[in-house]
Amino acid sequence: MVLSEMKQGSIVKILNTDRVSEIVRRRLIDLGMMEGATIRIKRILPFGGPFAVEICGQWIGIRRCEAKSIEVEWAS
Amino acid sequence: MNIALAGNPNTGKTSLFNILTGSYEYVGNWTGVTVEKKVGVLKNKVGRLIDLPGIYSLNPLSRDEGVATQFLLSEDFSLILNIVDAAQIERNLYLTIQLLEYGRPMVIGLNMIDVAKSRGFQIDAKNLSKRLLGSPIVPIVARTGKGCDQLAANFQAMKERKVEPLFIDYGPELEQAVGTLIERLNHVELPSKRWMALQFFEGNSLVRELLQKHIASSELTALFEQTEQQVISGKTGIKNLQQHIRSVRGDVIRAILSDCLTRTKEVEYTFSETVDQIVTNKYLGIPIFLLFMFLIFKFTFDWVGTPLSDLLDAFFSGPLTEWLTQALVAVGASDFIQAVLLNGIVAGVGGVLVFVPQIFMLFFLISFIEDSGYMARVAMVMDKLMEMIGLNGKAFIPMIIGFGCNVPGVMAARTIEQPKERLLTIILTPLMSCSARLSVYSLFVGAFFTQHQALIVLSLYLLGIVVALGLAKIFSSTLLKQSSSMFVVELPPYRFPQWRTLMRSTWEKGKGFIRKAGTFIFGGSVVIWFLSYAGPGGLNVDMNNSYLAMIGGLIAPLFAPLGFGTWQAGAALLTGFLAKEVVVSTMNIIYVAPDLATLQGTMANFYSPLSAYSFMVFLLLYVPCLATVAVIKKETASARWTWFSIGYALMIAYLIALMIYWGGKFLGFQ
Ligand SMILES: Nc1nc2c(ncn2[C@@H]2O[C@H](COP(=O)(O)OP(=O)(O)OP(=O)(O)O)[C@@H](O)[C@H]2O)c(=O)[nH]1
Ligand SMILES: [Mg+2]
Repeated sequence: MVLSEMKQGSIVKILNTDRVSEIVRRRLIDLGMMEGATIRIKRILPFGGPFAVEICGQWIGIRRCEAKSIEVEWAS
Repeated sequence: MNIALAGNPNTGKTSLFNILTGSYEYVGNWTGVTVEKKVGVLKNKVGRLIDLPGIYSLNPLSRDEGVATQFLLSEDFSLILNIVDAAQIERNLYLTIQLLEYGRPMVIGLNMIDVAKSRGFQIDAKNLSKRLLGSPIVPIVARTGKGCDQLAANFQAMKERKVEPLFIDYGPELEQAVGTLIERLNHVELPSKRWMALQFFEGNSLVRELLQKHIASSELTALFEQTEQQVISGKTGIKNLQQHIRSVRGDVIRAILSDCLTRTKEVEYTFSETVDQIVTNKYLGIPIFLLFMFLIFKFTFDWVGTPLSDLLDAFFSGPLTEWLTQALVAVGASDFIQAVLLNGIVAGVGGVLVFVPQIFMLFFLISFIEDSGYMARVAMVMDKLMEMIGLNGKAFIPMIIGFGCNVPGVMAARTIEQPKERLLTIILTPLMSCSARLSVYSLFVGAFFTQHQALIVLSLYLLGIVVALGLAKIFSSTLLKQSSSMFVVELPPYRFPQWRTLMRSTWEKGKGFIRKAGTFIFGGSVVIWFLSYAGPGGLNVDMNNSYLAMIGGLIAPLFAPLGFGTWQAGAALLTGFLAKEVVVSTMNIIYVAPDLATLQGTMANFYSPLSAYSFMVFLLLYVPCLATVAVIKKETASARWTWFSIGYALMIAYLIALMIYWGGKFLGFQ
């Protein structure tokens, strides 16, 4: 599964971020959004707009194309 | 003693800086407010404090992070004051750990204790300090100043302490490689070699550049690849060195926190969530942004700003001018002196100062938006639109700041990671209608559009945005083709801005406007007045035969197709390059008006509403003012792009004013 398929409110665990571009991945790592991290989808903006996710109480906005390249699974 | 203030973005570094040094630097609730280093003297006189842009790690991605990292790596300072956001302590400690590995003495300010408490975080500062090499840790609330004095009391003692770098074991493979690299650097003089080696293996480009001065690039690459192979083989889930290092540090941090952090409750962030449900709503996001803008104009024009400006104008043109005239007559001043003072300075400087209330109102509202947390949401709501035109949502932040003044707007583009997106933002931000232009609109809408002041001005602001976005599309698909665009934004929790901060930032922004009035509008007014007083025929000539009329007349024919081909308009636009509000001074002097109402009456003889609108459009777009040009030059470090930003603006201004004037005529407007 990839992040962009998830619904607002889902809680997922990141499995793989290899397909995200280098520069974006670095920024995501800075914010703690890396493999193994658990995130919750807070808002999905319309017309292919960004996703807002929460990680450890921090909210981050990312583009949908990045969300498409982030593999996730349901957090247990 | 120099103390470097370092920490993650938006953790309250500048708030603390302001408290400890008594300064009024720029504070706002989004990441990347501070983009330059700022120096201040500590109130307790033990040394100087240097406020730096926020960073997540010592490996910079954007220009502002580069400023901070460069400072920490190469400048001279004796102490690091690390600000840690207690509510985000886990993430913040990654930087703290790297700074401790660097081996400089450190004092830690555990900020946002109030927020942490409300989220149920309890941090044992004593214990935490023990785990972090005994660096003093003081819980503070930088917003109110709580605990800041205790924090400052630690500087003197700490400076004298000799500290060892923090040692973390990164596993046998990496440790061996670090050993090899340190060995290779045996003959060179470098501080903290172990730290350098670790940063190199983590992929820090600045450190790599430094090392390349001593070791061949190919050798470094070989060592890096070999080490990466060894480290990742046999480990599951680790794909590269950076990840390995990060995960070792993560384990260390979690171990520390399991000792020092207790969570008393789980809290949902309901307030921010509710607000976000509205302002980033599926369909309402952009309309709400526009509504906010409209309200801002209503406040500045109809509700608060204009009534106050009118009072001020009445004072200037009535009592003030009277007193001055009486005083001048009493001391027996010559006609010439009287004319300089009354027709030159009072008309020129006073004419601009009249707009102070409106401008302060605008700055006040912008400060409110900056400190509330809405800024990052605008970036997110706008991102899709911005992506289509080859920019990203973050580029909208410099543009909003540009509404106040283009200079800090251009600077704010530093936080944009992609160099091309940053350049594009820099050259387009001057199209945002700044507060100086506002004074010109005020003058014109008061004369020609009394019914719909706010609406007309809003239309100009929107025109600026639309033109900027249109040009972004054109430039990004021709001159500045993107390789890859990027957008990641932190969304801070909403905070209700403090009165004190609001007042201060309003004053800090508005101060510049008053200072300009006292300096170059003052000087400019005298010069302009003199040029209008003197001519080839001598002094005190009819204004139409003055030097100013000749100069303005030279370029006036160019503007005839736009509807304002008078020498007065030509002269005003020429002087407007200095600063846009000088246009108002010039008009006051040229039309020799004792007050705003008379001036507006006289102008009606020279402009029709349509040509007035065309004039405002031209003024909005034509060239960035002198100060903005200087900052563009500094930020792009390129004369070519600076000229480009002047040139395209002139062309587009002419074209659009032409279209509006003739289009308007065609549609039957006057
Ligand atoms: N509740 C609370 N808010 C704070 C505290 N300290 C700072 N703030 C707020 O946090 C926001 C960010 O403050 P700044 O001082 O601009 O942060 P900074 O670290 O300089 O940010 P950058 O320059 O972007 O790196 C502002 O809205 C402050 O009012 C605090 O102790 N408690
Ligand atoms: Mg700051």
